[in-house]
Amino acid sequence: MNKFIASVMLYCTVFTVSASEVKLEKFQVDTSVLAVERGVDTFMEVCHGCHSLKYVFYRDLAALGISRDRIAEWRGDSTLEAAMTSLISDETAILSFGAVPPDLSMMVAARVGGNSYLYAYLTGYYLTSDGEISNHVFPLTKMPDALDISSASDSARRSELQGKAHDIVSFLSWAADPHKAERERMGYYVIGYLILLSVLLYNVKLEVWSRLKT
Amino acid sequence: MTEADDLENKGRRSFLLKATSVVGGTGAAAACYPFVASMNPSAELLAKANTEVDLSGIPEKGMHTVAWQGKPVFVLHRSEDQIKAMAASEGGLFPEQDKDRVKQPEWLVVIGVCTHMGCVPNKEGPGWTCHCHGSQYDDSGRVLRGPAPGNLEVPPYRFISANRIKIGEV
Amino acid sequence: MTNKIIKWIDYRFPLSSLIKHELTGYPVPRNLSYWWNFGFLALFVLILQVATGLFLAMHYKPDAAIAFDSIQHIMREVNYGWLLRYMHSTGASAFFLVIYIHMARTLYYGSYRAPRELMWWTGQGLLLLLMATAFMGYLLPWGQMSFWGATVITNLFRATPFIGDEVVVWLRGDYAVGDDTLTRFFALHYLFPFLIIGAVVVHLVALHTVKSSNPSGIDLADKDNIPFHPYYTSKDFFGMGIFLIAYFIVVFFFPHSVLEPANNIPANPMITPDHIVPEWYFLPFYAILRSVPNAVGGVVAMGLSVIIFAFMPFLDRSRIPGGGRYRPVYRIMFFIFMLDILLLGYIGYVPATDQTITIGQVATLYYFLSFLLLPFISKAEDMWLFRRGLPSNILALIASEEEEKRIRR
Repeated sequence: MNKFIASVMLYCTVFTVSASEVKLEKFQVDTSVLAVERGVDTFMEVCHGCHSLKYVFYRDLAALGISRDRIAEWRGDSTLEAAMTSLISDETAILSFGAVPPDLSMMVAARVGGNSYLYAYLTGYYLTSDGEISNHVFPLTKMPDALDISSASDSARRSELQGKAHDIVSFLSWAADPHKAERERMGYYVIGYLILLSVLLYNVKLEVWSRLKT
Repeated sequence: MTEADDLENKGRRSFLLKATSVVGGTGAAAACYPFVASMNPSAELLAKANTEVDLSGIPEKGMHTVAWQGKPVFVLHRSEDQIKAMAASEGGLFPEQDKDRVKQPEWLVVIGVCTHMGCVPNKEGPGWTCHCHGSQYDDSGRVLRGPAPGNLEVPPYRFISANRIKIGEV
Repeated sequence: MTNKIIKWIDYRFPLSSLIKHELTGYPVPRNLSYWWNFGFLALFVLILQVATGLFLAMHYKPDAAIAFDSIQHIMREVNYGWLLRYMHSTGASAFFLVIYIHMARTLYYGSYRAPRELMWWTGQGLLLLLMATAFMGYLLPWGQMSFWGATVITNLFRATPFIGDEVVVWLRGDYAVGDDTLTRFFALHYLFPFLIIGAVVVHLVALHTVKSSNPSGIDLADKDNIPFHPYYTSKDFFGMGIFLIAYFIVVFFFPHSVLEPANNIPANPMITPDHIVPEWYFLPFYAILRSVPNAVGGVVAMGLSVIIFAFMPFLDRSRIPGGGRYRPVYRIMFFIFMLDILLLGYIGYVPATDQTITIGQVATLYYFLSFLLLPFISKAEDMWLFRRGLPSNILALIASEEEEKRIRR
């Protein structure tokens, strides 16, 4: 019996092995409304030109609590009901970069390591010895160094850009799982209720079985 | 065990069973809520709950049909004589004052669905005629004759500017 | 008032007697442990999956162009759509976990032995139906893993002699997995759970004929049975409470633990993911498939690895009841077999290297040897235990069973 349990637990620990080669530091994402708002702002400035979020609508940002005026600044000609599509067409993108910039709605969930991976990727651009720009995490990437972090020489500038990357990833984390906060809040109530119910059910079981004459 | 103990046990047992049934039953009922709620309109449909209409393109005596929540809504630009005619009468089968059915007398906004069986009436001369079973409505949407059990419904709407109305909000 | 209605029904339909005979008054051995809760749990998870599946089907679109979008719609826009989806995806894993524990209980305690062979075989049938349902359901989100998993597994049918290629195209409805495959898998995924419900009824009719086994392996005297209600209703509900806690912890806090990241990328027939893995509950069988270097051989081995369980009543030649409880050799075999399955699962998950393939092959060999050598090992153990000496009541029981067999022949 105990052997069985021990082997099951061993089995479960195996699945925490990450598939990426680069050591990813644990990334603490902040999905408060303010962080997401900063993230959208940075996203519109740095990423929106090429990347779309076709499953995220501008009204979702309003539902989250961001002011309609701010959203109006970001959405330009698009309506509130529209999705956050990028400004570039697929054909132009292929001509400029050789690939269509992927939609980012689910990017955090689509990569092993999620937030940590994306943050490491965005901040992973560096100058090689040949003076070319490459990326530690994904060397074959066709995406240019959008934050221009590879040319950040002093630590203050680097910190500032890391902060921007942090905001972008926080926003993308919310975008991939907008109901996370609600889900976890509900979870506490449901588990609490179930623990109460199980205690009651256990006592009923004991009570019923105590009537059994041996 | 004494009889007193036994009675106390019975009391405790019945309380336990009652309490568990109540807690369990409440949980089971609460568990149904997400299932039922999932059948209600989803977020993007609620976003389409309002329709804005630009009135400047509609000439006098002209009518525009717009979609609101999947239904047709007639927006009629009434002339002076049309307004006078409607103010003079109280309608037919279900008397109602015309001024109670409009916010500004030259604009009539009614849901274009016959109150009888749901067909869309046609604009014919003064008012509308429903070709399904012959109900007749006047230029205020009030039923004059036919099997329709009520006047054309006025949806919630408001003027958001001189030439724009928003249907779906009061 | 209700009594009058019930009397009216009872005159026309055996409602009260059915409920009394099969549910409330139904005799169950008094010594069942918590390992006997898992049958009821399996039924509960089945109901959960049908309910969540039905409500998901109200929003899901089985068309390759919009299937992925419809899942996003459910997750983001439908009221509590995210909850329905996570309950359904977690429920699938929960279903297999419960069923595997249920099977392990049966194997350990020897509950598959006479006269419960039909229970074991209807159970096998149920497992196959469940695996088919899960496989088809996994295609529906139309993610990268959905698409490529379906491609790999439908490709296996190429092993069919003479008509292999035609069978694969017939299954898919197209030369490659596509919209036709998706739509028919949706239709079948909706149907199969109702076939499962029918098979569960058959399984329970068989159960009620031979009655539950118990941890001692020896059928108890009538006086040692207790009515299902309130003893096992209360025990089953408590077990369900504990199950729900574990289940909802996953649903609310770790729903992604059973969802592959690659499946959040829409299916792309032009790009294969680095790492195609089935869901965890298929991993041991997937490992066995990959262990055999020959394509047809691999499919045969994989199929056999599921079907071979059916032979247990014939492979186990010991006369001693109770499975692992009173048979130390069988008990050791059981635990090592469990470890072997876990090892196979791990091998099925990790990318194939020379090392992992070799380990997989050894594990596969051990898997089949456990079954094939069981007749000899169980007989040898039997003789050893008889020589060592058995309690008199066990000897008497075995003697009377042999007598009965002689008479019946």
